Amino acid sequence: MEKVLTARIGKKDSRSIDTYLADGGYTGVKRVLTSGMTPEQVIEEVKKANVRGRGGAGFSAGVKWGFLPKDTKGKPIYLFCNADESEPGTFKDRLLMENDPHQLIEGMILASYAIRCRNAYIYIRGEFYDGARILERAIGEAYAKGYLGEKILGSRFSLDITVHRGAGAYICGEETGLIESIEGKRGQPRIKPPFPAVSGAFAAPTIVNNVETLCCVKHVIDRGAEWFLKIGRNEKNAGPKLFCISGHVNRPGVYEAAMGLPLKDLIFGAEYAQGMKGGKKIKAVIPGGASAPMLTAAEIDDCPLDFDGVAAKGSMLGSAAIVVINEDACIVDVAKNLSKFFSHESCGQCTPCREGTPWLYKVLTRIEAGQGRMEDIDLLARICNQMANGMTICVFADAAIAPPLSSVTKFRAEYEHHVTQKRCLVGARAAELVTV
Amino acid sequence: MSSTPVAPPPSAPPPAPPPKDTFTVSFDGKAIEVPKNLNLIDAAKLAGVDIPHFCYHPRLSVVGQCRMCLVEIEGMPKIQAACTVPLKDGLSVKTTTDKVKNARAATMEFLLINHPLDCPICDQAGECTLQDNSFGYGNQLSRFDEAKRQYPTFDRTMIGPHVVADMTRCIQCTRCIRFTHEIAGTSELTFLDRGGRTLVWTHEGQPLANDWSGCAADVCPVGALTTREFRFRSRVWYLQKTPSVCPGCNVGCNISIESRDDVVYRFLPRLNPTVNDYWLCDYGRFLSEPLNDRDVHKATVREGSAVREATVPAAVDRIAREIRSSLEGKGPGAVFFLGSAHLSNEENFLLRKIADHVGSPNRDAIVDKSRPRKVKSKTVWVEGDDAGANHQGAKDMGLSPGAGGHGLDAVIAGKASPEVILIADAAFSAIADDPEKVAALRRARFLAVAARNANALTRAADVVLPAASLAEKEGTFTNVQGRVQKFDRAFLPKPPIRAAWEHLLLLALALGFGDRSWTPHDLLRQIAAEVPDYAGIKEEELEGGRLLKKGDFAWAGRP
Repeated sequence: MEKVLTARIGKKDSRSIDTYLADGGYTGVKRVLTSGMTPEQVIEEVKKANVRGRGGAGFSAGVKWGFLPKDTKGKPIYLFCNADESEPGTFKDRLLMENDPHQLIEGMILASYAIRCRNAYIYIRGEFYDGARILERAIGEAYAKGYLGEKILGSRFSLDITVHRGAGAYICGEETGLIESIEGKRGQPRIKPPFPAVSGAFAAPTIVNNVETLCCVKHVIDRGAEWFLKIGRNEKNAGPKLFCISGHVNRPGVYEAAMGLPLKDLIFGAEYAQGMKGGKKIKAVIPGGASAPMLTAAEIDDCPLDFDGVAAKGSMLGSAAIVVINEDACIVDVAKNLSKFFSHESCGQCTPCREGTPWLYKVLTRIEAGQGRMEDIDLLARICNQMANGMTICVFADAAIAPPLSSVTKFRAEYEHHVTQKRCLVGARAAELVTV
Repeated sequence: MSSTPVAPPPSAPPPAPPPKDTFTVSFDGKAIEVPKNLNLIDAAKLAGVDIPHFCYHPRLSVVGQCRMCLVEIEGMPKIQAACTVPLKDGLSVKTTTDKVKNARAATMEFLLINHPLDCPICDQAGECTLQDNSFGYGNQLSRFDEAKRQYPTFDRTMIGPHVVADMTRCIQCTRCIRFTHEIAGTSELTFLDRGGRTLVWTHEGQPLANDWSGCAADVCPVGALTTREFRFRSRVWYLQKTPSVCPGCNVGCNISIESRDDVVYRFLPRLNPTVNDYWLCDYGRFLSEPLNDRDVHKATVREGSAVREATVPAAVDRIAREIRSSLEGKGPGAVFFLGSAHLSNEENFLLRKIADHVGSPNRDAIVDKSRPRKVKSKTVWVEGDDAGANHQGAKDMGLSPGAGGHGLDAVIAGKASPEVILIADAAFSAIADDPEKVAALRRARFLAVAARNANALTRAADVVLPAASLAEKEGTFTNVQGRVQKFDRAFLPKPPIRAAWEHLLLLALALGFGDRSWTPHDLLRQIAAEVPDYAGIKEEELEGGRLLKKGDFAWAGRP
């Protein structure tokens, strides 16, 4: 597939506005602002393209924009770009921001025009210091060339973009947590409803979109919804997509492909990760970041990497962070490691998540250290089952239980081995004991 | 005009029904009409359905984070936190399904895994929501077999002048944080850290030192915040709860006097949305301790230079004798009566009746001013700056100089020199401990006071009567809003101590009027008949309207 989102990445000076303009950048903005295309028409085009949110939830961006109230009662509408990329295994937004910042800025200008936003913000993960600096420089260039600021390109549309750095909390990637954080409060998700589109930042209507999603918007406006829909397995799962692959593969990295790329192709394809390091066997694959349930080696056959394809396998595409785990890894150790992350990142407001995530980590640590008991294995599953599905305000707990619950279900023999033999079950024998 | 009814023209539409101001909501199949602005938890209460909760409080913002109030809502696939579900017509709530039971048991298990379960040494035990909900909705056994979380340096620490924090007991419900943000407006408390390490503390080590800091301990559903004053003093189930009114100022916060074996252990706010709502200021709250102080135990009578103990009737007779002799010698103008802002309406009323009986226009009741005290009612702040609870009532009862009479100022200034002065409350003002002013009062030939504690005035007086404390008597106060509020007796005073109204009734009888059987109830009926502003006041209405029966009311800790 022709590269779209990453077409300019790797070129000389790809961050500068001069090369961006030379490559045909900001033509979408020029066309929309000077042709008299209405905001509603922009929304309609994005809706038609069915640009599903690239942050993880896969919710249609155009539909989300449509939730904005017609009458905001004098309140402004905010656009927040969610650049708090912190799902373990995910590093695509960083690539986009650091190498082609104007693509994102153009996407934000178009989205802001569509939703009638005057002040847009980029909430960028605090650790992305370089990304924040690069974006700020690019925004400065865009102001200088008249693509941002008062009366852009002589139209009646004005827009300011501000970069806001986060302070190091995974939960601020949850859209209402992000809004709280921008308001200067402790980053913790809000009760919904009201949804942000109705009452978000400072009680004003607010749209939160992922970096990659906003970049897609630029291309939808440039080339049309028809073009976008033709890329991918079907119209419900369309468009170019970035896949972050990491773990025990020969060539980890970010690859752009059409939505629906078979998972096996991503792992073994010559233009992608080029197979398993050292020719080892696959034990498990996490298809959508730490929050996605693990798949076994058998399950990755015939698994198209798009929202519905991975969902059909009982997992989720999430942020398209594919983590490949080989036969030498102990699955208990993997689950323990991921549980440590979730235990550290829980915001602490809801009881089941605040208490459940450290509990899971403690039990997994014990089993991993050879101090587990048989009943601990069922206990893990029970703890998981009483943390999710409405037990908490946000879906963090649902994400946190994915690694332990899926591994206990699918790799139970490894847990039992750890309890009885007090060491890891790895290598060829482990593969035989996988339950799907 | 003709009165023949005229049928409406057939084309007229039927009159629209008046818009409903209630929703029909069903709980476990039982439909009920509830006001539209209620929270689902309070609506359930109206239906007699108890939805267990920790973080929800009727006067604080809804955060939905304890996850105890989980219920099933028809049409919603996932379980919902009841406090976060907006009421609407036709809502069908299920609170007894297996899904709900399991979810509540799950939350209870999570809350208890790191809780120290130190109930045997915890002051909250007995009025702890965690205990109650654990009993009602939890499992008996814990499956948690790891080391419990500890909070070194954040356990058993004074975080302000009154509040002791112990984070090992905290369930992170944030009620106290929201109280300081939303009611006190002082925002001393906050969450620190996150996840399983989340704890409630003050900003940068600043103290929790607002005027209502004790309320933070009240709203705490567990023993994480307790007050220094009550810590380790009594198990709460031994405490008798008596509805009363705070004696601290003229706001007249409704309180519960909590006592055991004739000792007052604490005051708690008692819900009254029109006055103090769920709150009570620290100044008033900690007046519970001084309420136990007493150094006047017996009646005393001065004879020459000697002060002798006497029986109360003998001491009262002496007062009556002195009054009569003054009346005979110099007429009614020679007697001066002083009521008090600390006495009940009934007592001040009876004092005024005695003054009327002897015909003296010399009567007064004064009050010291304090720094402004305020408390948030359900809607507005109520403020008062009297150093007594009932100056308004004392004035209403007629304790101000009559025609040709003198007030206290005139007596102290020497413009009036009564022969006999009767002061119904020795603690009526700081004047009573001011030697110069007491000397001015002492110029009278005979000085009588009723007192609980000794001061310059009692030391100067000819007769001292032992008077009951607020906890030892009943009556009514009138607050700054003009609201007449009843307080009950927590326990009887130890003989020969009597309430001021009993002393006054004895005096009235000795002077030849009144009825031996009168009680504060009778006096209130007389007030209703004789004091125009109080016309028609009925004790039953005071009680039924706002004040509930002993031991049967919500206090702020357990909404």
